[in-house]
Amino acid sequence: MKKLQEGHPVLKVNQLAISVLNKGSIHSITEDITFEIHIGETLAIVGESGSGKSITASAIASLLARPLTVTHGQILFQGTNLLEAPARYVKSLRGQAIGCVFQDYRGSFTPFIKVGHQLVEVIRTHAQVTHAEAKKMAMDWLHRVKLPAERSFRSYPYQLSGGQLQRIALAAALMLKPALLVADEPITALDVITGRAIMDLMEDLQREVGCAILLISHDLRQVIKRSHRIAVMQNGRLVETGSRDQIRDDPQHPYTQALLRACPRITRKHGPHIQETGMWR
Amino acid sequence: MLLQLFSRMIQLIFVLLMLSIATFLLMKMAPGDPVLTILKASEGAVSQLDQEQVREQLGLNLPLIQQYGLWLWSVLQLDLGRSLVNNRAVWDLMMDRLPATINLTAGAVIVLLLVSVPLGVVAAKYKGKWPDHLSRLFALIGASIPSFWLGLLLVYAFAFKLNWLPTMGSGDIRHLILPSITLGFVMAPEYIRLLRSGILDALSQEYVRAARARGIAEWRILAKHALRAALLPVMTIFGMSLSGLLAGSVVTETLFAWPGLGSMVMEAIIQRNYPVIQGYVLLTGVFVVTANILVDLSYRLLDPRIRAKRGRGV
Repeated sequence: MKKLQEGHPVLKVNQLAISVLNKGSIHSITEDITFEIHIGETLAIVGESGSGKSITASAIASLLARPLTVTHGQILFQGTNLLEAPARYVKSLRGQAIGCVFQDYRGSFTPFIKVGHQLVEVIRTHAQVTHAEAKKMAMDWLHRVKLPAERSFRSYPYQLSGGQLQRIALAAALMLKPALLVADEPITALDVITGRAIMDLMEDLQREVGCAILLISHDLRQVIKRSHRIAVMQNGRLVETGSRDQIRDDPQHPYTQALLRACPRITRKHGPHIQETGMWR
Repeated sequence: MLLQLFSRMIQLIFVLLMLSIATFLLMKMAPGDPVLTILKASEGAVSQLDQEQVREQLGLNLPLIQQYGLWLWSVLQLDLGRSLVNNRAVWDLMMDRLPATINLTAGAVIVLLLVSVPLGVVAAKYKGKWPDHLSRLFALIGASIPSFWLGLLLVYAFAFKLNWLPTMGSGDIRHLILPSITLGFVMAPEYIRLLRSGILDALSQEYVRAARARGIAEWRILAKHALRAALLPVMTIFGMSLSGLLAGSVVTETLFAWPGLGSMVMEAIIQRNYPVIQGYVLLTGVFVVTANILVDLSYRLLDPRIRAKRGRGV
C-alpha cells in the first residue's frame, strides 16, 4: 500500500459517469461526478432515493454489477485509478483498504454462519494470521464496538438486533484499518436512538483508525451534524459541494435549499450551537 | 427434538397402516391368482379341487376383512408371513435382497454427487457462458433419456464393445458400476438445475454482496456462503430420491439382473405373492418416513434458524 502524505486525497473521483448497458442501449444513471476525500475527513453525498448516490458508492467499492457500468471518468484511490487497475489489485483493496457498511443490516452477514466465523474469515482473507490470532482480533473488535464479545462471536445473525448487527458490520469494515470507509445509508433502517449511537461509534472509530468516510444518506440533518463536507446529488449529478457550514448556512442551489426546507428547521438564532426545532419527520 | 421424533413415530404408524390397507385392497382387486402360480409350479394339470384346497390352506377363502386382520395380527407379532411361492419368511427374503439395494443406492448417490454438484456449481458460476450451456445440454439429454435405454447403451459400450465391465449380475464392485451410473445419471438433471437456480438465488442475496465487499474470495463465497443456502431445496428432493432408491429401482435392477428389492418385488407382483408385496410395502413405508426424518435433521444442520424455530415449539 502506498503511504500517503497529509493533504493528498484518499479518494478522488473524476467526472465519473455510470450507465445501464442493456443490449446496445445506454441509459445514463450518473454523470460528471467529481469529488475528493482526505484522510480523517467525512464527505457526505446527500440526495433523494434514485439520485444515484448508492450506485456511486458501489462503483467506488467496485461492487457494480451488470448491467451497471462505468462509462467515463476515474476513481483514484490512493492515486491509483481503480477502473484501470488489475482486477486482483482492486479485489485486494476490498475489505482491507476500502471497508463498506450497508443499509440492510440483515444482509450484511450470511444467515447460517456465526458472525464470529465470518469476522475471522475476513481477517484471514487479508492477513496471514492463525485462527487463534484472528479470533482474538475479532473478539477485540467486538469489544470495541461495545458488544459482549464472547456471546456476539458465537451468535448467528438472526440472534442479534439491527443495532448489534450494524455494530458488527462496522467492526468488520474497520478492523483491518482501511483508508476509506464507504457507509451507504448505515442507519436508515435503524431507529433514531440506535442510529445516533451507531453514528457516534463510527466517529469514534474513525478517529481511532484515521480513515476517511464516504457517507451516503438521504437525511441532510444527520449529515450536517456528522460530516465535514457535503455533496448534494440530484438526478445523477452533483449539484452542489461545500463545507457543511456553507451548505447549512448558505446553500446556493435551489435543490439544496429544498432539501434543507424538507428537514426540520435548523437555526442559529440562539448562539453558535445548533438548535433544532420541529418534529423529527 | 425428542417430541418431534415421537410425533414422527406416530406418523410412521399411521402411514404404514394406511399403506398396508391400500395395497391389500388393490392387490385383491387386481386380476390374477397366486394359487394358480403355486400349483402350476408343482404339477401339470390343475383341478378345481386342488385349487380350493390350496386356497383354504392359505386362508385366501376368508372374507377380506378377516384376511387383513390375520395379516395385521401377525405383523404386530413381528411376523411378516411367508412367501407363497417358496415358503421362506418374507423378512428373510427382504434382508437377503436389502444389501444389494443399499450398495446400488450408495453407488447411485456417489455418481449423482459427482455429476450434479460440479455441473450445477459451474452452471451458476458461469451463468450464460458456455459451461452453463453445456450443463444445460447435459441436463436436457439426461432428463430425456429413459433409464432402461441408457442402461442398454452403457452395457453395449462398456460391456459388449469394450469388454471392460460385466454386463449384468452381482459380485464384485465392477458389477456395481454400470447400474450406478445408469441410476445416477438419470437422477442428475433435476439436481443440476436445482443447484444452479439455488446458487444463483443465493449469489444475488445481500449477504453475498457484503462478503464480496469484504474481499472474500469468489470460490469461497460460492462454496461456503451460496452452496449451503442452495442445499436446502436440494435436500428435500434428495429425501424423496433416497427413499425411492432404497425401495429399489425396478427398471434398473431388472435390466442388470441386480438382486435387489426392486427385482424381488417385480417377481412377487408377477406371481401375486401377496405376503412378499405387503412386506415390501411396509419396508418402503419405513424408508420414506426415515428419509423424511433425515431430511429434517439435515435442515437443522444447514440452517440454524430452523434449529431455533423448531427447538422452541412443536
